[in-house]
Amino acid sequence: MSNAALIHVVDDDASQRTALLRLLGAAGFDTRGYACTGELLLHPPQDRPGCLLLDMHLPGPSGLELQAALQPLGIRLPVVFLTGYADVTSSVQAMKAGAVDFLAKPVQRDLLLDAIERAVARDAAQRAERQEASRLRACFGALTPRERDVFDQVVAGMLNKQIAYSLGIAERTVKMQRAQMMKKLNASSAAELGALAERLSRLSD
Amino acid sequence: METMPCIAIEKKPPLSRNHVQAVKPRPLRRAPSSAARVRRLRWSGLCSLFLVLIAPVTAGEHPHVLVLYGYDRLLPAIVRMNAGLRETISPEVQISTEFLDYPRFSGESYARTVTRFLVAKYAAQPPDLIIAGGENALTFLLAKRAELFPRAGVVHMATRKYSLDLLPALPADVVGIPVEYDFSRTIELALRLHPRADRLVLVTGATPYDRSWETRLREEAPRFAGRVKVEFLAGLPTATVLKRLGELGTDAIIFSPGYFQDGTGKTFIPLKAAIGMVEAATAPFYAPSDTAIGIGIVGGYTPSFVAMGREAGLEANALLAGVAPQDLKLPKVMPTTLKLDWRQILRWGIAQHAIPDDAEIYFRAPTFLDAHRKEAISAAVVFLLQSGLIGWLLIERRRRQQAEQAEQQQRFELVHASRLAVAGELTASIAHEINQPLGAILNNADAAELILDSGPASDHTRREALRAILADIRHDDLRASEVIRRLRGLLAKHQVERQVFDLREATTDAVHLLRIEARRRRIEFILRVTPTPATMVGDRIQIQQVVIILLINAMDAIGDLPDDRRQVVISIEERLKRFLLSVRDRGCGIASEHPRQMFDSFFSTKHAGMGLGLSIAQTLVNAHKGRIWAEPTPDEGALFHVELPAIGAPGK
Repeated sequence: MSNAALIHVVDDDASQRTALLRLLGAAGFDTRGYACTGELLLHPPQDRPGCLLLDMHLPGPSGLELQAALQPLGIRLPVVFLTGYADVTSSVQAMKAGAVDFLAKPVQRDLLLDAIERAVARDAAQRAERQEASRLRACFGALTPRERDVFDQVVAGMLNKQIAYSLGIAERTVKMQRAQMMKKLNASSAAELGALAERLSRLSD
Repeated sequence: METMPCIAIEKKPPLSRNHVQAVKPRPLRRAPSSAARVRRLRWSGLCSLFLVLIAPVTAGEHPHVLVLYGYDRLLPAIVRMNAGLRETISPEVQISTEFLDYPRFSGESYARTVTRFLVAKYAAQPPDLIIAGGENALTFLLAKRAELFPRAGVVHMATRKYSLDLLPALPADVVGIPVEYDFSRTIELALRLHPRADRLVLVTGATPYDRSWETRLREEAPRFAGRVKVEFLAGLPTATVLKRLGELGTDAIIFSPGYFQDGTGKTFIPLKAAIGMVEAATAPFYAPSDTAIGIGIVGGYTPSFVAMGREAGLEANALLAGVAPQDLKLPKVMPTTLKLDWRQILRWGIAQHAIPDDAEIYFRAPTFLDAHRKEAISAAVVFLLQSGLIGWLLIERRRRQQAEQAEQQQRFELVHASRLAVAGELTASIAHEINQPLGAILNNADAAELILDSGPASDHTRREALRAILADIRHDDLRASEVIRRLRGLLAKHQVERQVFDLREATTDAVHLLRIEARRRRIEFILRVTPTPATMVGDRIQIQQVVIILLINAMDAIGDLPDDRRQVVISIEERLKRFLLSVRDRGCGIASEHPRQMFDSFFSTKHAGMGLGLSIAQTLVNAHKGRIWAEPTPDEGALFHVELPAIGAPGK
């Protein structure tokens, strides 16, 4: 398996599809083509960096529907839409659905490759983000309930004394658990903990 | 009728008698005919009236008139005179008619016998007046008057002036208008009509009467001798006469009054003698008697026997009314008229300008207009009316044709406009249809460029890739042209064509044109066609237009429905040399109150519809001798059928 991004091309027009696959391949991407969204759903792709290049008007489930259908499978690939008729309604729909780009056929090579690269970049960013988030969640999951309580209180800006009082434990114990917690979370200051807490709260949204 | 001389006087008295007419009680006479009669009133008619109004002097209530003819009762001249007489004589008059039958019976003893017979016969009813018909009747009467009815006045008719002049002066109570056979004038005319004639042949007979004609002719002959050679055939045997006449050639003129007896003593009626001569003659024949007109003579100046009878009747009326004979003021002679036989004029090639204007022409074959004037006028009027009608109808037809042409043109424009509208509706999908291959071409070209940039083109893999790209580009280019071709076919303002085409293929083509539009609307087309070509004759594009109209309607009908109903089924079946094209959708169907209206122009249930689609479809289908109708379907949705004749199918 190469390190190149994998682009999934769904277009019911065989020659269009072939041409797109050919172009993307020549541009250095790995490609896979599907005649319809159903075909892609029947053979869900492995989770590899890349993106979806979808025709806006496909027989069967549409590109938008495909995107929704892939989500539960844990496949969150950015989408670039191609359309024969670039009407306002469908472009609004596409962008709302989080499309990276919305291109009218026939599409210029630079525009297409640019959009694909941005989509791939976004995929990479999202993957990194998701990776970071899971790491955070793992760290956070390693905290004991007591350490979690301490974390919450620290993030809330309370002093050790106040925490000890609030939890009904000795200040010393608080200090020890706080040090344990910061070590597990790989944080060196209360400010860092604050930032961490914010990221966590975003992830849990 | 009688030949020319016939009328002449004769001598013998006959025996027979005739009651021509029973006494009529009516006081007024029947209407005679002519204007001549009115003229006669001057001297006799008034007197007749007088007779009616005032007691007649010489007659009783029903005066008795004896008409005595000198010849046979069937002599044409006598028949005519008698007819004229009956026309004018007063109806109260009782008429007896006798015939002396000259020349069959003649001689003194015959005359005496007849006299006795008449005296005996009319002893009880002596005539008040006697009318003598012909010269021999007059001479008989003059000779036997004392023994017969001395008190009865006498009116003579058909007596030649020439003969009267030879007689002693007539008694005062013997009156009549003499006749003059104007043979000199007739001969003069003949010479004028036949300027090339060099001989004049005159034929007469052997009786004293015939001899009197010869005498008169010999007296006049010198007048013509300077111009033509005059030849007499007088008193010769008939055979000789006929032979001579047959040898004459055409440069002669024959004139004859006919004769009663020929050189062998054989008797004739003059008309019969004339008929024989005319048949034998090779030259134009002239005669002075009007009875001879028609037997083959050219004609002649002749008095009318009918007129003689009329005059005698009027004279008798006057005398019976008490007018004194000397007060009658009779003309000196009967007028003569020129009568000619048109057939003879033609036969002898007589110059028509030479014919006197006052001639009475007989036997002129009436021209069509003469014979059928009324019918001809009616026919002409009918013909003109009919022509007018036909002309009007032609003009109407022309106008109708023009109107039809204009209408057809308009319909054509409308049909075309409808196709433009369809195309407008399909713009987006057509653009897509064209963009698709264009996009592929562009992508392929870009890919090729990248491939070229990435290394030398000599590399085998690259070359294969580039070759595949070029093949695809070519293919896509053709695909785009095909779309344009279809579209142009639909939009071209082509004249209506009749061509053989495959309905299946045309329908498939139309469905393809709409396929992208259907995809855009997320509608599925299901096409079920016959396994074999559906060949028919007509305008392919118009039929495609019908298909497109039905498909667009179907798509409009199901535009807002859930996916499982977004289907349009198009099918073609063949039944009994007819194709049945059906389009079924599963939309909201056809309201039951619209099944007919929907084929009308400007009927639409759609918000944006013009209401022309189905109307145009119907027009186009009808033009192909097909029919279009909607079928109510048991489940929801609409089902449209178009039935079209297969090639070679009989018309609807």
